[in-house]
Formats: sequence, C-alpha cells, structure tokens
Amino acid sequence: MTTGSIELLVVDDGAALRGYDCRDVVRVEEVAGEPGGYLVRLGRLGLPREVACRKVLRSVVLSTGEIRPVPEALRERISGEKPWAVGLNEREIYLLY
Amino acid sequence: MDGEVIGMVSTSGISPLGEAREELLLEASIEAEASGREKAQEESGPARSLLVFFLGTEGFAVDLAHVRKVLRPSRIARVSGAAPEVLGLMNCQGEVLCVLDLRRTLSPGKETSPPAATEGKFIVVIQHEGKEAGFLVDAVRDVAELPASSVHPVLDSVDPPRARLFEGTVTCGGRFVGLLSPSACLNP
Repeated sequence: MTTGSIELLVVDDGAALRGYDCRDVVRVEEVAGEPGGYLVRLGRLGLPREVACRKVLRSVVLSTGEIRPVPEALRERISGEKPWAVGLNEREIYLLY
Repeated sequence: MDGEVIGMVSTSGISPLGEAREELLLEASIEAEASGREKAQEESGPARSLLVFFLGTEGFAVDLAHVRKVLRPSRIARVSGAAPEVLGLMNCQGEVLCVLDLRRTLSPGKETSPPAATEGKFIVVIQHEGKEAGFLVDAVRDVAELPASSVHPVLDSVDPPRARLFEGTVTCGGRFVGLLSPSACLNP
C-alpha cells in the first residue's frame, strides 16, 4: 500500500462486491462442506468480526480519489451492516465495509 | 380647445398625430397584454416546468427545478441488504449515483416481481435539499409548462403510502399524470 491509497480485499457475498481493508484482514478460511463458501476474519484494525462470502476475488488498490462517501439515499435504505464508503474505479464499484 | 390643429396629413396619408396615436395605442396594447398576462398569472400562479415520463402507460411528472439530469443506465452495481427499491450504484461520470426503481418506490410492499431490467430505459436524477438519487423510468416524454393552479390534489382513493409520494395530479396532453414530490420520493 502506498500513501493516499488503500488496498482492498474484494469478495463476492453472493449479491454484491464488498471490499475490506487488507490491513484489517486476519485470515481467510474456506468453510468445510460448503463449496464456494469462505469466511473472512477481520479485526487487526478494530473489533474482531467474521464475514461469510461466496468467493474471494482479488485485492485491488484504490487511490483516495477513488473512494467516495456512501450516497445518503442509499445509506438510509440499507438495513444491517452499513458500508463506510464506496470505492469506484473505471471497471467496478465496491462497497467498503 | 376644439378644432385645434395638432397635426397635418402627410403625403403618405399618415399624419404625425396619427403616428403618435398609433404608437400610443401600440404601447397601450402591449401594456394591456402584459398586464393581462400578469393578472392571469396572479390568478393561476406562476408557470411550472414539469418533466413528464412514463412507467408503462402510466404518466408521471416532476418539477424540472429538481431534475439534475436524465441518463441512460449503464452498469449498476448491486448492494446487499438494501431496500427492495434500490437497484444499486452507478458510476455517473465519476460520481456515485444511487439508482432506485421508481415502480417499486411507488408500490411499497409489493416487491414480489424481480428487479426491473434497465435496457432501453432512462434514469431521471432528482435532487432535493442536498439529497440525490436516480429513478429508473420506462420513457421520458417532454417538458410541459403548466400554471401552478393546474395542480390538483391527489384523489382520496389513492392508498396513503402511495399518496404521500405525490404533490398532486396535473393534466398533460389530455391525460392525468401524477406530479411526484421530490422530497417524499427521496426520503424513505
């Protein structure tokens, strides 16, 4: 990671792409007996938590200019865990959790 | 004074007096027209420019003052855990735009149908008090100029959750269209 950028671990949760700060990732585990199921353990930067996902896709580096606030119209319409930002590059949009 | 000569008949047949009177009459008629327009506007309220669009055969309108732009949909990224009317996020010339399905926004609680396909449709980007979202619609027709007095209240027969999304109804091109409230549509 360089200054002014963030490296994200991009996962597919079955419905959308999610990005997690690679520095926060403790471990990625394959869930036994569930093909295509993974568990991402987080908590290096904050509280320990686990996230289940369908696929672990790749890591991607976004510059600070490619990180935007979550549109208010969306934030108000999300139940449960809310993303803290949106990552946006020429190819894709990631929700950052 | 009676019989006072105030002008002469010119060779062209129009006297200077006649010209002056013509000018006065013209000015008077312009003023009268303008005042008539103002009076009519006072009576009917200022004109409103409305963007008219469709969902199927049903017409809707929104005040153009709240329309930021109209776009063709591009790739929309889905969002987990979002309300059924959220289609996702779109890269709109480097800005992140939240795209909502207007059909589902207008029919809360009736989310059994699959999310709308976006091909051939339009996104009307509406802004109100700093909040913004794109609404997927089937077709955009035109801009109608209507006096404010032509906005009628929403019919009592409309379900209250749906009725709150409208400012009223207007007649455009001989058909009733629902005038959407930007504030209500943007605020869940």
